[in-house]
Amino acid sequence: MRSIRKHSRGATTSAGRAMLAALAAALLAANSGAQSGQSVPDVTTLSMEDLMNMQVTSVSKRTQKVADAAAAVFVITQEDIRRSGATSIPEALRLVPGLEVARIDENKWAIASRGFNGRFDNKLLVLIDGRSVYTPLFSGVYWNVQDVMLEDIDRIEVIRGPGATLWGANAVNGVINIISKKAKDTQGGVVSAGAGTEERGSSSARYGSTIGNTAYRAYGKYFNWGPSLYSSGTTAHDGWDELRGGFRADWTPAGANSLTLQGDIYQSKYGETLTVPSLSAPYSSTFPNNGNYSGGNILGRWNHSSEGSSMSLQMYYDNTTIADNSLFVDHQNIFDMDFQQGFHVGDSQQFVWGLGYRSIRDRNDSSFSVSLQPNQVTLNHFSAFLQDEVSLVDNRLRLTFGSKFEHNDFTGFEVQPNARLLWTLTPNQSVWTAVSRAVRTPALTEEGLRLNSAVIPPATLTNPTPFPAVVTVFGSHQFQSEDLLAYELGYRVQVTSSLSADIATFYNNYSNLRTAEPGVPSLEGSPAPTDIVIPFFAANKMSGGTYGAELFADWKVIPKWRLVGSYSYLQMDIRKDSDSLDPTADNPNGSSPRHQWYVRSSIDLPMHFEDDTTLRFVDHLPSLNIPSYYSLDAHLGWRPVQLVEFSIGGQNLLNNQHLEFIPDFINTAPTVVKRTVYGSLTFRF
Amino acid sequence: MLRRLGILIAILGMTLNWTSAADAQAGDADSSEYLIKAGFIYNFAKFVEWPSAAFSQPDSPIVIGVIGTDPFGSVLDHIVEDKKIGPRGFVVKRFKGGKDLKDLKDCKILFVSASEKAHVDEILQSVKGLPILTVGETSGFAERGGVIRFTLEDNRVRFEVNVEAAHQADLNISSRLLTLARIIPQTAATGRNPG
Repeated sequence: MRSIRKHSRGATTSAGRAMLAALAAALLAANSGAQSGQSVPDVTTLSMEDLMNMQVTSVSKRTQKVADAAAAVFVITQEDIRRSGATSIPEALRLVPGLEVARIDENKWAIASRGFNGRFDNKLLVLIDGRSVYTPLFSGVYWNVQDVMLEDIDRIEVIRGPGATLWGANAVNGVINIISKKAKDTQGGVVSAGAGTEERGSSSARYGSTIGNTAYRAYGKYFNWGPSLYSSGTTAHDGWDELRGGFRADWTPAGANSLTLQGDIYQSKYGETLTVPSLSAPYSSTFPNNGNYSGGNILGRWNHSSEGSSMSLQMYYDNTTIADNSLFVDHQNIFDMDFQQGFHVGDSQQFVWGLGYRSIRDRNDSSFSVSLQPNQVTLNHFSAFLQDEVSLVDNRLRLTFGSKFEHNDFTGFEVQPNARLLWTLTPNQSVWTAVSRAVRTPALTEEGLRLNSAVIPPATLTNPTPFPAVVTVFGSHQFQSEDLLAYELGYRVQVTSSLSADIATFYNNYSNLRTAEPGVPSLEGSPAPTDIVIPFFAANKMSGGTYGAELFADWKVIPKWRLVGSYSYLQMDIRKDSDSLDPTADNPNGSSPRHQWYVRSSIDLPMHFEDDTTLRFVDHLPSLNIPSYYSLDAHLGWRPVQLVEFSIGGQNLLNNQHLEFIPDFINTAPTVVKRTVYGSLTFRF
Repeated sequence: MLRRLGILIAILGMTLNWTSAADAQAGDADSSEYLIKAGFIYNFAKFVEWPSAAFSQPDSPIVIGVIGTDPFGSVLDHIVEDKKIGPRGFVVKRFKGGKDLKDLKDCKILFVSASEKAHVDEILQSVKGLPILTVGETSGFAERGGVIRFTLEDNRVRFEVNVEAAHQADLNISSRLLTLARIIPQTAATGRNPG
């Protein structure tokens, strides 16, 4: 096993070189290639409603209606964010039908799509302006530091279901794309300040301007959250703050090229109540713990678009440092390069292909409870994808098919194909279906982690020996990728110009899911004192199916009143394989809600007032012992003049408090989501 | 194996790139925006009724004028080429703009480019009372007496309609178009000028 991996690691460099050569060739070909010829899509066949739904630009620089996507796509617009009163990205994500958003404490979230929720949920890929914020350390997202100037978000595109063909490994159950506005759309200044019962204070400022062909903006923001409560009602130790700044510059000379340069830098301090085991009595300690997240990133993107084709080359560097001194310190440097090109072939085909390279350097310091081997490592990751979109039967039937091919240092080569079919029944109705494969590749922790999760005191019923017994989870070099084969079917209808509905259904078949298999206990002499290690090794001995449906409807009752509603259902049937000896319960099944729904009303009131009220229901989580809850959130905005906005929002108005989640792996005390009120004032100039 | 795949991808990449060269055309970075807007202009022609006296013949073409720097490139021409609304075809004409406002009266639709920002009032004044659907995108275009103004919201094209201005131009705008529009009142300053 080990030797096979070594071998493929050697082959990696030559594959990488070939890809770089292809990239260079593509760039040369492209520069000489922009010539005459026509292929203008016939927009006269589209109704005005269709035209109004068309996005002017999209991530791949392609004009595409959400209604034309053969996937469960949902878009949160800037207007949605503003009117919801959300002050963070996780809170804004609660607007997505079927997405599971649970707060663990003030600074930690568990967010998942289509099941398997957890603080270290590893099946949801998240990108901010094309930069992946999914950490290869534990395969998941540090939600607390994924932040931007919310006013500068253009939209958040959420794809539920696999997106691996375009986005690569780990886009298993969903992809979230946070897309910021172009600098030319954020000209002028915004100054905002707010205060509330939980988020005690926040302030942000942005200024944008133009020099010649270059539009730019810069922003800075700070917020501070006070502590919440433990479910017992006593004050917790989970307050946090964040200081962040950044910029974006878009250079758009006349012609087909444009360049973007953007970057951010941040620092965040947080508190939590941590329980860690120890080798001496009382064999475990619980204490208030403080930590620090800091980092920065810089990204450059070159776009070349002409009527028949578009291409982009993007590079970024991202640095993340997590300093949780009682637990783990990790420094990660990621360099990523991505090229993609899309073009029409004749009238009926649209081809997209791309190449990517990523280098990950990780360095870490361990503690008694968490350690990672090796403590310094560099990983290389290569990828390529091809996708073709063919229009069949007079634009009524569209077939999209393609595959991602990638190579990582742990499992070698991974192929992730998909095929999608969109059938436009009438101009107002469409049906889509898709079959896709996606993999979730091993995280550094699954290869080399040692997590001492508990110590059983000596001379007790469960441990009659004279030594303390340490229950330890180890990563394993044998750990393989988790596999998904997904089948999706969806329907969209525009009933009238004011009423539309969308339903997405899926059946997901997983194999090689992670389990912890027991090994042979052994005596460990150092560090003193002598203890017995009861080991569990990461393995791939769980599989099964999940199915579900997500419904969404949007009704503009009258021009000034919009009602949207969503209902989602999820059934998970995940079982350990017969040869698995993992003693824990079939845990993923009960950690995601079976039913979720919300109804949201947005009213434009006289005198430039706006009212938004949302009632949400989240079903109970049986394996975590979390009861179901309702949450009523309301937001009132007032813009007496265009340039000034007052905003007041309340969350969880129905109850005093509710608990949303219990964390996994790292034992931090969960805290409740309280009834909160938050107000802010925004000036634009 | 990997090396071979890499080479395959490289070759495939280059081949496909040459194919694309034939289809590609250098254009505006935001060409999609004006493609959508061209689609709207075609729809406006469908949902606006001109007085019959506005056309010399029953099959006279609908003349679309673009005044100032043309943001459409050849897109608009391609969109309306060979298209007919009833018996009428389309003709696209371009005008230099600036102070040169001759010959605008033949237009049935007049797109006022953003380059004419400084001359919007003069242009609107010169076509006042004529059955011309003026379409613009500079801020305040509809308030100042233009009939339709394009806006962008959340990356989508929206439009405003000044019903009063349409009425003054003797244009009958279908309710289907009006329900999708944001209705803009004419500002008092312009309203005071008798048509």
